[in-house]
Amino acid sequence: MSYSREEVKAITDKILNMVSAEAAEVDFSGGERSATRFANSTITANLVEHDQQVAITVYYGKKSATVSTHQFDDASLKAAVAQAQELAKRRPENPEMMPLVRPPQDYVGVEAALPAAVSFGPAERAQMVKKSIEICEKKGVLGAGYIPKMHWTDATANSEGLFAYNRYAEASFILTCRTPDGGGSGWSGTTGMKDVSQIDAGMLTEVAADKALRSQKPRALEPGNYTVILEPRPAARFLSLMVGALNARAAEEGRSFMSGAERGTTKIGQKVFGDNVTIRSEIGNPILRQTPIGPDGLAARSIPWVEKGVVQNLFYDRFWASKQGKAPTATQPGQSLVMEGGTATVDEMIKGTRRGLLVTFFWYIRPVEQMTLLNTGMTRDGLFLIENGEIVGPVQNFRWNMSPAVGLNNISMLGKPVPMHTGEAYDNPGTALVPAMRIEDFRMTSISPAV
Amino acid sequence: MVTRRDFVRAVSATSLALASSDLVADLVAQSPSGRVLESKFKGLSDIALLTAKRGGCSYADIRFTRNVSDSVAVRDRVVVNGFGFGGQGRSESAGFGVRVIHSGVWGFASSPLVTEDEVRRITLVAVDVARASAIAKRSDVKLVPVAPVTDYWAVPVEVNPDRVSLDDKIGFLMKVNEEALKVPDVFRVQSSMAFDFEWKYLATSEGSYIEQEIWRTAPGLQVTARKGRSVKTRTFSVPPKTGGYEVVQGSGLLENVVRIAGEAVEHCTAPPIGAGLKDVVMTPAHAMLTIHEIVAHATELDRVLGYEANYAGTSFVKLADVGKLKYGSKIFNVTADRTIPGGMCTVKYDDDGVRTTEFPIVRDGILVGLQTNRETAHFVGETASKGCTFATSWRNYPFLRMPNVHVDAGPAGSPSPEQMIADVKDGVLIDGRGSYSIDQQRYNGQFGGDAFWEIKNGKVTRMVTDVTYNAITTDFWANLDAVSGKEHWQMFGTTGDAKGQPVQINHPSHGSPYLLVRKIMVGAAYS
Repeated sequence: MSYSREEVKAITDKILNMVSAEAAEVDFSGGERSATRFANSTITANLVEHDQQVAITVYYGKKSATVSTHQFDDASLKAAVAQAQELAKRRPENPEMMPLVRPPQDYVGVEAALPAAVSFGPAERAQMVKKSIEICEKKGVLGAGYIPKMHWTDATANSEGLFAYNRYAEASFILTCRTPDGGGSGWSGTTGMKDVSQIDAGMLTEVAADKALRSQKPRALEPGNYTVILEPRPAARFLSLMVGALNARAAEEGRSFMSGAERGTTKIGQKVFGDNVTIRSEIGNPILRQTPIGPDGLAARSIPWVEKGVVQNLFYDRFWASKQGKAPTATQPGQSLVMEGGTATVDEMIKGTRRGLLVTFFWYIRPVEQMTLLNTGMTRDGLFLIENGEIVGPVQNFRWNMSPAVGLNNISMLGKPVPMHTGEAYDNPGTALVPAMRIEDFRMTSISPAV
Repeated sequence: MVTRRDFVRAVSATSLALASSDLVADLVAQSPSGRVLESKFKGLSDIALLTAKRGGCSYADIRFTRNVSDSVAVRDRVVVNGFGFGGQGRSESAGFGVRVIHSGVWGFASSPLVTEDEVRRITLVAVDVARASAIAKRSDVKLVPVAPVTDYWAVPVEVNPDRVSLDDKIGFLMKVNEEALKVPDVFRVQSSMAFDFEWKYLATSEGSYIEQEIWRTAPGLQVTARKGRSVKTRTFSVPPKTGGYEVVQGSGLLENVVRIAGEAVEHCTAPPIGAGLKDVVMTPAHAMLTIHEIVAHATELDRVLGYEANYAGTSFVKLADVGKLKYGSKIFNVTADRTIPGGMCTVKYDDDGVRTTEFPIVRDGILVGLQTNRETAHFVGETASKGCTFATSWRNYPFLRMPNVHVDAGPAGSPSPEQMIADVKDGVLIDGRGSYSIDQQRYNGQFGGDAFWEIKNGKVTRMVTDVTYNAITTDFWANLDAVSGKEHWQMFGTTGDAKGQPVQINHPSHGSPYLLVRKIMVGAAYS
């Protein structure tokens, strides 16, 4: 299923015309989500999901209700509109209700549905799997991987005449190789690729297979503080732990790491991270090609969040901005996220490290203490000891307890930013440009023999 | 018990026309309740099954589902979007998924458009997907047999949530808000209730036609307090259950809100527990997540086999461990059960069409069984599935998901929670869910809770904070020293168990007695 701007506009117009409430907004999403999964070097699931949905929100003054449906025939849509209107009338007023966003909104032009990604289908995915498992077999490992593809359209229309539309197509290739006896495991992957020709399944398989082979018979090290080189995947996960704290309301209500010393204040303007930490949302970034539509249909704009360690902006939603007399932030903190990097390759970082750990993957990260951003997580799928500029062998996995507020103050080297998903899973848009990072004094607190 | 006819009638009475609000709902309403072979979906199913057969498939099934989810939440006296089921407003989702085996490989495709033409088209897409996959297979999918069945089943519901007016729901939640906000130093409260009604119709090429209706209800309460710079949130553990509005009525939100609010305040000034080996007494509301993470996930056969190696992970359990592995102390018994009333994934048939059951996982501390489905059972030499296949909705492919998994209560004469506490010199009592993290083989876990009390010389002394504990799975359960009896056994659950790629959500329940575990490392995360 592919939804053109005209098709979606016709659907949202039809729904808006059905509404008798004072105001309405329609959020459309639909398209194709496909995926091929393999494990033990054989395909275990291959699927094509089609879906379409409208979430219809109607307003009577400060009363509103939302009803969503996947059925687009006239009778179903009329029933959904009637239901939303009935529910809205019964709900109490919401004092935090904001008026609808009005056009014109000047969206940055983003071409996010390239033909090769749109047509990337089960046969191409199976070819990638075939190539990957042939390499796995040559190297004597078992491949377990995931190739998700999204060809998706999101749109927002409202009774003020706003119409925002974004269609994108992207794919990822994510692979874990394990030795047949379960004694070694290695990971490699690339995510959120709009240009699918950039996915090199062969190269990624070589990396994951070599890591699996090299990770066998790990030695146990004592827990403690280590210099760590986070490859882009664990770096992206670690970075994501501070992105959630960029919310102005939580900060000003005193519920957040970004809360200032005095009640109602924030850390905007304060130097919270190291000099080498610069993080921004870059709408229209030519690699990420992510949506130019901000919250509620606002035109998203590039915005610095952290500049050389100093907090520049927090996210003000429209209600909180109006309450605090601020301009609303048109960009979500995780949207089209870019962290500035350096020039070092991971190999150069290894060469420049006297003693440390090379980390391939972070797993099961969960918050421990919200005010300090203390989090815990595990290493996985390839942890190696570095001594005197060389990898000297595999290490048993560690549990860590660490805050990005500490870690992002201790970055001693940065690599070139590459596309990498920041979330635990890979299904929704969440890829950012993230560099590999070398972080000093990373706190490893216990060992796990898990492989 | 509410039948579909009752449901339609009740809903019509609200004048919201909920049950007939879309095409699929119309088809459901036009089908005679309980007469599965006269359903409108029988004919649609047969189109898919015939198309798959003509396409050369050795197996096919089609599963229609319709979910109506809704939630109501009140935060600080303001009605806001809830979370969980229907978190973004009232949501209706209906469609179908077709699963086939062709050339020994699975293919799956799904669509929300429930028409004869679309059923044909999507079936052919599923066949094409399977055909394309065959170039990268190393073995054929094998399904253990299941006898065909024609049946209808529904969760018993005492009070249909749609018969309770929105005003009454909001009024109840508002009252809970008011009570919490009366407590000094409380500055934020959210009370909520979420409902999910699922109807599903499964037909298989082996002759099964099964229709089932499930209600899930999840109440919730969170209170946040501030004293000085210290902010703490306390979550009241309310078990989500299959059932109707009676789950809300029996939730105890109003009866407990002042206590919960007071504990949120007290937690703000509670001293840190400090790091060290301590005895831990766990309430069932806390134990549920530890059971979920280091027993239920570790004994999923697909994980043991490596199917989840790229995401959720594998398991420290090996196939050869069944019947041998000492998982815990002799008083440690674990049972899986998709038949228990109220269990979140209690259902009569799984999404393979297999009758669900109760089966042992651990007996007297020894691992005796694993969770299986039709695709995996043969790997452990079994000839029947234990009924653990589930898909979140019509859109998703079915695969192995955990059933309700419980730690069994102790026999008559087992200690009460008070007797357990009296038997602890230096320990901590933990209630509710907190931070939890576990490695990909379910061996090294770090768990927090929601509220903690110091135990000294057999007495609960005061609230403490900064409590986490570390568990190496088999060592942890080996230190299980006491379990309470069935009078203190309670079942809690989760609405957010993530697994698979694309990620799907499962809703298992986990029952437990109070547990006493000796000499556990506590507080290391903060040291």
